[in-house]
Amino acid sequence: MRTHDTDTPSEVVATIHTCMTLVAAAELQDNLIVAGNDLERLQGLLDDASQSLLTHFHGARQHMNQALRDTETLTPFDDSPVREALQTLGGAITSLQFQDMATQLISHTKQRLRNWADRLAYDTLGDEENDIGVIDDAPLRPNPVTQDGMDAGSIELF
Amino acid sequence: MHSILAVDDSISMRQMVIFTLESAGFNVVEAVDGQDALDKARKFDFDLVLTDQNMPRLDGIGLTKQLRDNPKFKDTPILILTTESGDAMKQAGRAAGATGWMVKPFDPAKLIEVINKVIR
Repeated sequence: MRTHDTDTPSEVVATIHTCMTLVAAAELQDNLIVAGNDLERLQGLLDDASQSLLTHFHGARQHMNQALRDTETLTPFDDSPVREALQTLGGAITSLQFQDMATQLISHTKQRLRNWADRLAYDTLGDEENDIGVIDDAPLRPNPVTQDGMDAGSIELF
Repeated sequence: MHSILAVDDSISMRQMVIFTLESAGFNVVEAVDGQDALDKARKFDFDLVLTDQNMPRLDGIGLTKQLRDNPKFKDTPILILTTESGDAMKQAGRAAGATGWMVKPFDPAKLIEVINKVIR
């Protein structure tokens, strides 16, 4: 965008204002894209952590089941410590569901950020000279994950 | 032994559900989404279906509707286990023929309690 010698002061101000708006929009768009990429990395970290936790969880369960079988040969027979350990392990199940809930939350937020970045580009730069491409769809519904803790959810029988 | 079809596109959720149900003595078959569940429901009989709502290809409510259209699953308990807690979605599940609506995360003891209540 250029000014010309023949432009009036108000035309020059308007041109500068347009340029500044474009720079701000581009910067905002960059930040939205960076936030989206950061969420993608966060998703990767959560997936890794979840996989590792589940592997250890199942390993511990297998060892305890084996210990339970081993106690059958003991005299006097007492499997209560192993059963208690299994019960304690089972108590982690509610918390271990965090990965599924976090994934849905992140996916929804990423889609929203992507849509805003695309719309911003289209509204500020979208013309015949700038091929913006296809705008990603905005999420159709509010975020499905409304929980803010890992307490067990409600149950309703119809 | 009762047989349960557990449907969820999240592998971690399926693992948690399978661990819980098998520990309680149920036989579990897993499906990765609604379409996979429908395919398995055509081949096998189940005493209960426990399904997620938001899944690719076919969601939990869509699966419930299609299962209810199949005489084999007309009376089979179908529980929807989901992050969705909104009333509109819950009522849609009810209208589709779901037996119950459970919001994630689930508590293993409560899940087993509910299943024992509705399973035949």
